[in-house]
Amino acid sequence: MIQHLVDGILVGSFLSLGAIGLTMAMHILRFANFSHAELLSIGAYCALVFDKVFESLLPVLAEKIGPLSMTGALAISIVLSMAVTGLSAVLIDRFVFQRVRQKGEELSMVFASFGMALIIRNVIGLIFGLSGELYSSDIAFAMVLSRDPMLLVKPDQVFVLIAALVLMVLLHLILSRTTFGFSLRAVAENPNLAQVHGVNLKRMIAAVWIIGGGLGAVAGIFYGLSYQITPVMGRDLVLPIFAATIVGGIGSVYGAVLGGFIVGIASNMALVVLPSGYSPSVPFLMILAVLLVRPNGLFGEARV
Amino acid sequence: MIGVISYLVFFATVAAILGIAVLGLNLQWGNTGLFNGGVVASFGAGAYGTLILGGTPQEGHLGGFELFYPLALLGGMAFSGVLAWVVGKLTLRLRHDYLAIATFGVAVAFENVMRNATSVTGGAQGIRGFERPLRDFLGSGFAYNLVFLIAVVVVLAGVYVFLERLTVSPFGRLLRAIREDETAARSLGKAPDKLRLTAFVTGSVIIGLAGGLYSTFYAFVSPQDVLPILTFQIWAMLIVGGAGNNKGAMAGAFLIWGAWTFSGWALSRFAPIEAQLYTGSIQFVLIGMVIVGMLLWRPQGLFPERLVVSQPGGGSREKTQAEGLT
Amino acid sequence: MKKALVFVAAVAGMTALSTGVQAQDCTTKIGAALPTSVDWGRPIAEVAQFAVDQVNEAGGAAGCSIEMVLRDTQVDPKVGVDAAKALVDLEGVKVLLGAVSSGVSMPILSSVTVPSGVMQMSCCSSSTAFTKLAEEGKTDGLWFRTFATTAVQSAMGAKVAADKGWKSVAVLYKNDDWGQDMAKLIAADFAAAGVEVTASVAINDGQPSYRAEVTEALGSQPEALYLALYPTEGTSAVREWLSLGGTQNMILANSLKSDEFRDNVGLQYLGSALGTDTASPRVESANAFKAAYTAKFGSEPNGPGLANSYDATMIALLAMEAAGSDASGADIAAAVAKVTDPSGKPVAADTAGFTAAKATLSEGGTVMYQGATGNVRFDANGDVSAPAVVWKFTDSGTEEVEYLSLSDVDAYIASLK
Repeated sequence: MIQHLVDGILVGSFLSLGAIGLTMAMHILRFANFSHAELLSIGAYCALVFDKVFESLLPVLAEKIGPLSMTGALAISIVLSMAVTGLSAVLIDRFVFQRVRQKGEELSMVFASFGMALIIRNVIGLIFGLSGELYSSDIAFAMVLSRDPMLLVKPDQVFVLIAALVLMVLLHLILSRTTFGFSLRAVAENPNLAQVHGVNLKRMIAAVWIIGGGLGAVAGIFYGLSYQITPVMGRDLVLPIFAATIVGGIGSVYGAVLGGFIVGIASNMALVVLPSGYSPSVPFLMILAVLLVRPNGLFGEARV
Repeated sequence: MIGVISYLVFFATVAAILGIAVLGLNLQWGNTGLFNGGVVASFGAGAYGTLILGGTPQEGHLGGFELFYPLALLGGMAFSGVLAWVVGKLTLRLRHDYLAIATFGVAVAFENVMRNATSVTGGAQGIRGFERPLRDFLGSGFAYNLVFLIAVVVVLAGVYVFLERLTVSPFGRLLRAIREDETAARSLGKAPDKLRLTAFVTGSVIIGLAGGLYSTFYAFVSPQDVLPILTFQIWAMLIVGGAGNNKGAMAGAFLIWGAWTFSGWALSRFAPIEAQLYTGSIQFVLIGMVIVGMLLWRPQGLFPERLVVSQPGGGSREKTQAEGLT
Repeated sequence: MKKALVFVAAVAGMTALSTGVQAQDCTTKIGAALPTSVDWGRPIAEVAQFAVDQVNEAGGAAGCSIEMVLRDTQVDPKVGVDAAKALVDLEGVKVLLGAVSSGVSMPILSSVTVPSGVMQMSCCSSSTAFTKLAEEGKTDGLWFRTFATTAVQSAMGAKVAADKGWKSVAVLYKNDDWGQDMAKLIAADFAAAGVEVTASVAINDGQPSYRAEVTEALGSQPEALYLALYPTEGTSAVREWLSLGGTQNMILANSLKSDEFRDNVGLQYLGSALGTDTASPRVESANAFKAAYTAKFGSEPNGPGLANSYDATMIALLAMEAAGSDASGADIAAAVAKVTDPSGKPVAADTAGFTAAKATLSEGGTVMYQGATGNVRFDANGDVSAPAVVWKFTDSGTEEVEYLSLSDVDAYIASLK
C-alpha cells in the first residue's frame, strides 16, 4: 500500500512536468493539444542522440554519477535537449498551429495537433526504428527503505523527483517574481488587454512553447531513464497527461503539478482494488470523478 | 475487371458505413457544436450490441441470443443510445475542450472494458459466430457483397434524408441557435441542456447504427475495432468534407477512406522494395500531412456549411460556448 | 543438317537449363498483410520477404518467380481487411500471408479469403477462436497457421517450473487475445503440475509505468516469474522486477526469445531464465534457417513470430509448387498436406531444400518440410503441433537446454490432464 503510494508520487513527477507545458499552452492558445506528449518523445530522442555523441567524444562523461544510472553526458544532453525541444515546439507552432489559428477555429487546432502527433511519432519511428531504446542498459537496483512494510525506491527515481521539484520551484519563481511572469499571466487572462498594455503576444506565445517544450523534454528523458523510450511513448502518455491537466484545472500551473501527482498515485493505487487489466481506464476515471465535483478542475477558473 | 468491381463494391460498403457514422457526428458537432472525442465508443456499442444479440451461442461469454437481425441491429443502436445518454448526462455540461478529453477518455475506457470483461464481450478474442443475414440465400461471394452495399447505401440515404429534414425543422434551428448563442436561446425560454442531450444521443444512435452494420459486414468484432484511431478517422472525414454539411460529411467519408486505402495500395505498388517495410510509417506521415494541409489551406472543408443563420467569425464561436457554460 | 541438329539440341538444352535454375520470365504474386508499422511486425514482414527471396533463388515456385506484395495492416482490422481485399481482387493473389493479430486475421478470413477461395496462412494468430471456426467447417480448409497452439507453450512452462522445483510462480501476461489465453492455460497447467500461482497480472500495452503491476506480482513473493509478454513491455516489466529485487528465476514464453529483450534486460540477469519454444527436428538440415538468417541479417532469428513467419511463407510457396501453375486457392490449400507429409522426403528450410522439394514434387512424390519451427504438421483445423525445446540466452543468441519430441510433448500434456 505504502509502496503503491510512493511509486505513484514518483510516476507523478514526470506526469506533472508534462502537464505544466500542456496546461500553459491550452490556457493561452485555448486548444486541447493532442501533440503535446510528442514533445516528450522529441526530447527523449534528442537526449539519446546527444548522449551517444558526448559519450563517444569524451569517454570520461560516460561515467555514472554516484548510485544513479545518469551519466555526465546525459546531464549535458538534458540541457541541450530542452533547448532543441523548446525550439521545435516554437517551430511547429510557427509553421502549423499559428497558421491554423489564423484561419480556423479551436477545433481546427485540436485536429491539427492530432495530425502533427501522427507525423512526429512516425517520423521518429522511421529515423530511430520502432523498438525500444535505453539510455543505460544497466539496471539500477532499488534501495530498501523499510522491510516492514516493504518499501523500495530506486536512486534514479529519487533524483527524478528532486529534479522535477527543483524545476517546478524555478518555474514558480519565474512566474511569480518576474515581469515576464506577470506578462504571461496577463496574456492568459486576457490577450487583448495584455496587448494594449504593451505585452508582445507573439513573444509570449513563443515563451510558452519554449517552457512547455523544455519541461516536456525533461519529462520525456526522466521517463526514459525510469523505463525505456519508444516512438509511441507520446501516444501512451497523452491520456495520463491530459488527465493531470484536467484534474488540476486547465490554466493552472500549480493545478497541473498537483494533478500529475494525483493521477500518478491514483494509477498505482487503483491496482489495489481493480484487476490490472483495467489500469488504462484509471486516468479517465480520474477525469470524470474530478469533473463531476468541479467542472473546471481543482484549480481551474471558468473561462471568460 | 471483375476484380476491380468486386474491390470497389467492398470499398464502397466500408466507406458508406463510415459515412453513416460521419453523419451522426455531424449532427453532434456540425449542427450542435458538441465535441465528441469518443465517437468510437458509440460505434463499438452498436457493433458489440448487434453481435451479442444476433450471434449464435458461444462458449465462455454472454450473447448468442440469435435475435431476428433487424431487432439485433436496433438493439445495438439502443445500447449505443443508452451509453450516450449516460455519458451525455455526465459530460455535456462541460466546456468543450474538457468535453473532448472526457469523451476521449470514455472511448479508451470502453475499449478497455471490452478487452477485459471476458464473460460479457469475449475479451480480447472478440465476438464471432455471427451468421450474416440472408447468407444462405445469397452465398458469401460477390452477390452478397453487392446486395449488402445496396442495403447500406439505402440506410445511408435514409439517415441523410432524416438529418436534412431535421436540420430545417424547428428542432434543427434550435440546435444551431444553441450552437451560435446559447444565452440568447436560453433567454427565449429554450432548454439548451435537454436539446443538446437529445442531439448527442440521436447522433450516437446513428453512429451505433454504423457500428452495427460494420460488425455485420465482418461478422466479427474485437477490441481492435474500437481503438482511438477510428475516432480520428471519422473526425478527419467530417473536417475534410465540411462540418455542418451532410453532403460534405458523406463525401468526406469516401475521400478520406479512399485516401487511406489508396495511399497503402500506391505505396505497396510503387515504392521500391527496400522501402516496402517502411510504408506503414510513411503512410501515417502522409495522412497526418493531408489533415494538417487541409486545415492550413481549406479549414472550412471541401463542402462548407451553407449558412442558414448568419455566423460570426471563427474566433467567437468558442467564446459563445464558453460563456454558455459559465 | 547435322550442324543444325546440334544447334537445336544445344538451344533446347540451354532452355531446359535456364528454366530449371534461372529466374523465370513470368511472375506470380502472393499477398502479405502484416503490421509493418508496429515494432514487432516489421521483422515478421522482413522474414517473409527473405523466404520469398530464397525461393526465387531456387527458381521460383510453380514455374514462375514470386513477387510478394506487402500491405500494412496498421493493426487496424478495417485497414487490414481492405488491404487483403485489394490484394485478392486487384493483385489477384491466391495465397495470402497474414495477419499477425487474431483480431485482424479473423475478419479477413470471414469476409475476404473464405468468400474468395483464397488460401490464408498466418504466422502468428493464436486465438482459439480459429480452431472453433474450423471445427464448425467455416474455413473451407483455406486457413492455416504456423503458430503452435498455446497449449504446447503453457504445458512446457509448467514442466520447466516442476523440473526446477519452483513451488510458486507469479504470472505476468500481455493483455491481448494471446496473453489472456496463455494466462488461462498456464494457470491450469501450473495447478496440474503442483505449482502454486501466487498472482496473475495483466500487462496492458503502452502504459507509462508497469511499476504497480510488478509490485503486485512481487508482493505475492513467488519463487519464480512466468512471462507471457512481447519484448517491449517485457523489457520494461522485467527491468522493473529485477530492480525491485525480484527473483531471477524466470520462465519465458517464446515471444521473449528476442535479442532486443536480452540486450535491454542484460544477459547477466538472465542466467536462470529458461524459455520455451517449439523446436526444429533432430536432423542435420535443421539449422538451415538459422544459418541463412544469420548470414543475411547479422544476428540469430530471435524475435516473436520470426520462425513462424518464415515457415508460413515457405509452406505456402511449397504448396504453390505442389499445386502447379494456375492453381486455385483451394488447390494450393489442399496441396499443403503434400508438403507437410510425415512420410514424405525431408527437405530443409532454405534454397537448397526448396530446390530438392521441387524435384521430388515434380516426380509426384511428397515432402516433409523441416521448418524453422519444426516438422510442421497441420491438423484438420489448420493448427500445428511440433516438438518443443527449453532454451536459455547466450552471448550470441540462445541455446537449447532440453529437447522434447512430439510424442514427449503429447505425453506430458496428457499427464497434466
